[in-house]
Amino acid sequence: MVAILWQVIRRRRISLVWWCLGLVAFVVILAIAYPTVRDNSELDRTFAGLPPGVQTLLGLSAANTLTSPVGYLNSQYFANVLPLILLVFAIGLGAWAISGDEAAGTLELLLANPVSRIQVAIARAASLGLLLAILTAVAAAALVTLAPATGLNRGLPLERIVAATVACGFLALAFAAVAFAVGAALGKRSIAMASGATLAIAGYVIEGLAAQVKVLQPIRAASPWHWLIDSDPLRHGLLPESWLLPLAVSLILIALSTVLFARRDLR
Amino acid sequence: MNSSVAPAIEIDGLTKRFPGIMAVSGLNLDIYPGEIVGFLGPNGAGKTTTIRMLLGFLRPTAGVCRVLGGSPAGEPGLRRRIGYLPGDFRIDPAMSGAELFAWFGHLRGGVDRTRIRQLVDRFDLDPTRTFGTLSKGNRQKVGLVQAFMHDPEVLILDEPTSGVDPLVQREFLRLLRESTQRGAAVLFSTHILPEIERIASRVAIIRAGQLVTVSTVNVLLDRARHRLEFRFIRSVPHDLFNGIAGVVEAQVEDHTATVTIDGPEGPALRAAADAGVLRVSPVGDDLEDLFLSLYQEKPEH
Repeated sequence: MVAILWQVIRRRRISLVWWCLGLVAFVVILAIAYPTVRDNSELDRTFAGLPPGVQTLLGLSAANTLTSPVGYLNSQYFANVLPLILLVFAIGLGAWAISGDEAAGTLELLLANPVSRIQVAIARAASLGLLLAILTAVAAAALVTLAPATGLNRGLPLERIVAATVACGFLALAFAAVAFAVGAALGKRSIAMASGATLAIAGYVIEGLAAQVKVLQPIRAASPWHWLIDSDPLRHGLLPESWLLPLAVSLILIALSTVLFARRDLR
Repeated sequence: MNSSVAPAIEIDGLTKRFPGIMAVSGLNLDIYPGEIVGFLGPNGAGKTTTIRMLLGFLRPTAGVCRVLGGSPAGEPGLRRRIGYLPGDFRIDPAMSGAELFAWFGHLRGGVDRTRIRQLVDRFDLDPTRTFGTLSKGNRQKVGLVQAFMHDPEVLILDEPTSGVDPLVQREFLRLLRESTQRGAAVLFSTHILPEIERIASRVAIIRAGQLVTVSTVNVLLDRARHRLEFRFIRSVPHDLFNGIAGVVEAQVEDHTATVTIDGPEGPALRAAADAGVLRVSPVGDDLEDLFLSLYQEKPEH
């Protein structure tokens, strides 16, 4: 199983380096821009005029305005850019893990070896988790290193930055697990990709609307976006609802779909 | 076949139905150690579906298939003893042959490196080049090496020689013979008869999901119509072969005649001898024709 996992890491290592470089580059810009934003109180008034739902979505509040480190990081990074990057990375991997490889015709060849489908599925899910963990760790390390240089750690312990980054990683894991599970169960890469991406986007939109639209509130309770934004890890640290809940959902999806994968016909 | 030896591949009533199509229906075929069975049929006849059930990629709708006494779907360990070449062999384009051989060798519990080098040399393959940069023929060589490198007891090869040049093909046939000499059982699918005519112990012809015939090449040859060309000392009457037993068709023109015979050639030869034959030559065995007719005729029930 380790050999199958290692093979994925080998295959993805160059692309992983590029993803890391891109993310680090964004973090550098984010940190460099902060002193300018901090000194511009005009921005606070502009953002205070936004609807409350949008403010929640951006992780802004009266106590944490755009010019504060928490408000700045939430609204410019943790509520959008970082989850988006991690989601695209992870959903792509999740859809590839079984169904993408199957569509390419290369999964069948692997399964002609003395390895069970369950072993392959577990190894592929583990490699997805590992690659996502590496990208998340690089993102956390970059911001933790750069934050003190531009005052982004004023009133903000560095471990909260780590917590918020890790929480975004778990959000991405949950939607990647959807793509993985649909792909493993159905063997259709396009449906796997679409279901992961659609749910991620829909969850984000619902989270924004739910502040005003009461009907949506029960729905959003089941959304990893809600678990992340509601627990606001940048202010409260890593609560179980922002890591344990998405992790549990991911593991259940992976386990169920692996059982289906072991029983179905390959395409 | 020797009944005291257990078949390496047992196919019993194997059936696969896809939505709206019966891909394989009630297939029976046993393949014994040391035997090469040519699995012939037109494209879409169900060859690949059968092979994919043998490897456990597809679940049979009915019937069973066993390889080396077990089910490859339920017992992954069994696949260590199977060499498989898919009809459309593809790997990650960024991976080199050497990387694939090392990886699969590891998955199969360790493969002798000198054996891999030997195969690579025999096929004249550059194992350091990534798969994406290789030509069709060279890609197929990578597939052949990975199928043979662990000296499997069962070889399941889906159109193994597609895209390779005659040199590689010859090397491949040699390798096949070596494998059967050490007791491997081979299922070799193709849609071209001459490819396996000389090496197959038996041929199984499949059409529209059903086995049309299973027999040795010799029996097939006996069943095939023969075509002979006669040259005579002098011109002969055009009705020379009329009413001669076994003659299906005769074209007589002046000094020559081309005669198609179903069954023993004796009566036609006798008639020709009496008419003063100068030379007799076979115009190719009509195996190809028989093969085509088996392809086209309705499966028996």
